[in-house]
Amino acid sequence: MNITGLDSLVFGVDDVEACNQYLTDYGLIPNNVSAAGGTFTALDGTSVVIRHRDDPELPPALPTGASLRKTIHGVADQATLNAIAEELGKDRDVRRLADGSIEAEDDMGFTLGFQLSCRQPISIPAEKVNAPGDEPGRPVNVIGADESITIVPRTLSHVVYFVPDSKKAEQFYIERLGFRVADRFTNLGPFLRPQGTLDHHTLFLVDTPPEMQGVEHFTFHLGGPTELLLAGKRFQEKGYESFWGPGRHIYGSNWFWYFNSPMGVHVEFDADMDLHDDSWTAREIDASADASQIFNFTLVDKWMPGGDPH
Amino acid sequence: MNRPIRLCHLSDIEDGDARGFDPHQQGHDSLFVIRQHRQVIGYRNACPHKGYEGTSMAWRKDRFLNKAHSRVICAAHGAQFDINSGECLLGPCPGQSLDRLPLLVNEQGDVYLLPADSEK
Ligand code: FES
Ligand SMILES: [Fe+2]
Repeated sequence: MNITGLDSLVFGVDDVEACNQYLTDYGLIPNNVSAAGGTFTALDGTSVVIRHRDDPELPPALPTGASLRKTIHGVADQATLNAIAEELGKDRDVRRLADGSIEAEDDMGFTLGFQLSCRQPISIPAEKVNAPGDEPGRPVNVIGADESITIVPRTLSHVVYFVPDSKKAEQFYIERLGFRVADRFTNLGPFLRPQGTLDHHTLFLVDTPPEMQGVEHFTFHLGGPTELLLAGKRFQEKGYESFWGPGRHIYGSNWFWYFNSPMGVHVEFDADMDLHDDSWTAREIDASADASQIFNFTLVDKWMPGGDPH
Repeated sequence: MNRPIRLCHLSDIEDGDARGFDPHQQGHDSLFVIRQHRQVIGYRNACPHKGYEGTSMAWRKDRFLNKAHSRVICAAHGAQFDINSGECLLGPCPGQSLDRLPLLVNEQGDVYLLPADSEK
């Protein structure tokens, strides 16, 4: 199944205005913003969609009241879309929507959409470094520390579900949709990668009691660690509440920084994730502080040693 | 800590809204206070969500309530709590409650955090 990654996440929220502002401050490009919601896109067109939780056009909420109402996966071509419709149609209702996409529930009750991917090819250099022994990453006279840069997230990266039965949830994504396990936290669940991308994971499943079913976080990829640190710093200075980080994960190697959000999920800044193909052998370990990050920092106020000694 | 600590004046909290405080200078708001007219309700800023115990609940400085100001919310995974009882009504920690903190409002409207054991 040539699923290329997440195209969009659709939320039904309590405070639309707060979510609109939050996602704009996070750095996404606001489109069609109103009291009814908005679409907040990354550079490649992938997005987060905000609607009021009572919007009649939204798929129903989970019994836990979780705010995520739909996860839209992009696919490479019509043949994949047809294959998914046929596969899922074997044992569940598959709805064909007016825009050509299809909709169905996964085995945990999350509403999924599948569409010809909206993800546009983008060509923007990554953050570059200079290191002795290698070719210069930045040309001569190009500076690396520019506080004034505009930072727009590049692409929607991954979403993390709390699921009541991670084994069953995993089976659905692997057997029905062809996802691969990239790595696994034995006590929590698998990091999953669909076949149409090399990204370490676009979906991570965390096993929880049923009353916790919902979303832990989602994130977009930024251009590199400096961008991530600067974006997170700006976000924190706007008053948003840091939850965890900045740091760097071990599985996936991505830099992370998590914040609370008015959608009632964590929102992460992410950069520099590992790529894998089918020759990769999944690792497995019990999740722990040591296993989940190589380091974890806390932002403190700017400071300088000594001051001016003259 | 066995003396009352002054947090603010009643008028420093908008009626119906909440505000976070860091009375022990921990670098983050360790508690929040909800004001309803002359009544104040204080809770530890610590979500009871299992596995996440102690998580700070606001999504932005002082944003502890839902839009209608009718419930306390946790901006980490969306738990909703009754303002008066602190009980989780919806979300990942049903049946669990926020930790209530004893407060006092004096004649002049100053809001104090009382020592923990003064509740009894
Ligand atoms: S930490 Fe509060 S809902 Fe999860
Ligand atoms: Fe993540």
